[in-house]
Amino acid sequence: MRRALRLHLHALSDALRRTAAQPLASLFSILVLGAAIALPVVAAMVLDSAIATGAGFDMEPHVSVYLTLDATTDDAKRVEQALRAQPDVAAVSFVPRAQALAELQSRTHLAELLAALDRNPLPDAFTVRLRTSDAARVEAARSQWSRLPKVDQVVADFEWSRRLAQWARLGERILLAIALLLAAAMAFIVAHLIRLQVLTRREEIEVSQLIGATAADVRRPFLYHGAIQGLLASAVALALALAFGAWVTHQLSVLTPNYAAELKVVFPGPIERVIVVGIALILGLLGAWAGVSSQLRRFAADR
Amino acid sequence: MIRFSAVAKRYPGGLEALRGVSFEVGEGEMVAVTGPSGAGKSTLLKLAAGIERASAGSVVVQGQNVGALGESALAILRRRIGFVFQDHKLLFDRNAFENVALPLRVSGFPGHEAARRVRAALDKVGLLGREKAMPVALSGGEQQRLCIARAIVNRPMMLVADEPTGSLDADYARAIVDLFASFHQVGVTVLLATHDEASLVRLGCRRVALAAGALALGETA
Repeated sequence: MRRALRLHLHALSDALRRTAAQPLASLFSILVLGAAIALPVVAAMVLDSAIATGAGFDMEPHVSVYLTLDATTDDAKRVEQALRAQPDVAAVSFVPRAQALAELQSRTHLAELLAALDRNPLPDAFTVRLRTSDAARVEAARSQWSRLPKVDQVVADFEWSRRLAQWARLGERILLAIALLLAAAMAFIVAHLIRLQVLTRREEIEVSQLIGATAADVRRPFLYHGAIQGLLASAVALALALAFGAWVTHQLSVLTPNYAAELKVVFPGPIERVIVVGIALILGLLGAWAGVSSQLRRFAADR
Repeated sequence: MIRFSAVAKRYPGGLEALRGVSFEVGEGEMVAVTGPSGAGKSTLLKLAAGIERASAGSVVVQGQNVGALGESALAILRRRIGFVFQDHKLLFDRNAFENVALPLRVSGFPGHEAARRVRAALDKVGLLGREKAMPVALSGGEQQRLCIARAIVNRPMMLVADEPTGSLDADYARAIVDLFASFHQVGVTVLLATHDEASLVRLGCRRVALAAGALALGETA
């Protein structure tokens, strides 16, 4: 057990020594790997931010029915009965004009302007949830309701949010494909770097094998090297992603202060960060394993 | 300790380096393999040290059939055998200490114990004080002794040496031969290949003669 631990410590110190021995080359390769990992991390941040922004909007199929400003309580009751009579309607909720004004004042920066008005400019309204998102049936209902007495306007404006959800799903798939491609690229880069290192240490490896080193003994320091590169690259990637997120947040706050509450950048949380580090570590190990194994097979074939 | 039974070795390309070789080396025995260049001496030693595998027949070392061992088991067997290579196989980007410490590093020895053993091995071959010297700064004889120090640092039960006096002048060669004789006296099994008659006479051990890959004769000097 202590022997195995010593072998691992030797391998780790060897890998650290070799990383430090060529600081410029190590830094360059880690930056390249870090940039490769940062791309899908940043793309995920953009997608998460878009989804979070979209989440502030209602994705359920619904129609808003606005009454005229002179509509009375009885008028509203008649309209509600007509709405509930439609078979595609799942639920109807009444939004009194006073409540609508209060919500507008609390959710926007227009409170002072609205307070200055001598009367409430907003009408009573109904929010109608539908059982269907079929465009033709929604349009038929909208057309029918717009002809009801004391109905001023009927708006079916959920279509864009449905599309946003579809785009988000597409974005997730594209992101996954990009992440897989870049993960493969990272593994290839690490494998290539390790292969070069193995080549430069060929003599040492061959002598070590002659005096009793197993393939695992030879492989061990290179695996640590790959793991170290993966870990450092993941740190670089997270730093790049966080810096990008901070920059975008600053730009948003400068350019669109009124929408700062709605448009926000979603940073990777602790679990996402651990996942990024773990994946980079595994990719570093896999790349190193592939690089050293292919070279050892070649050395054996040359003997 | 070592038993060769009808051993043959063919290399890719058809070169038959050994054929039908059978003999034994007892525990604590010293045996010299002799013969002209190309007789198969180096191949025989590599088979004995588990560096190569026989194409036919069997090589049993310390009770283990080399041909039946997996790669890892074979590597571990090699740790118990000190091999002195004809071309030294020193690492020229490492100093004398690091070269000798290599087998201990492979075996996972703790640093302080490794340092103690390396100094003892260097002392044994007369290179104590040259720990920091790079191989390129050492003479041919010193490089040979450095290679021997690396072979003995693991305290092997068996020493295998391929032409250990081949490139040395008479004085150096005598010193090296005396070194192997001293290992033999403390019970280490020694199998060495040489065609240096003066060394053979000085060693005074059993000879196994090879000619064109086959056993020519066996004699006890």
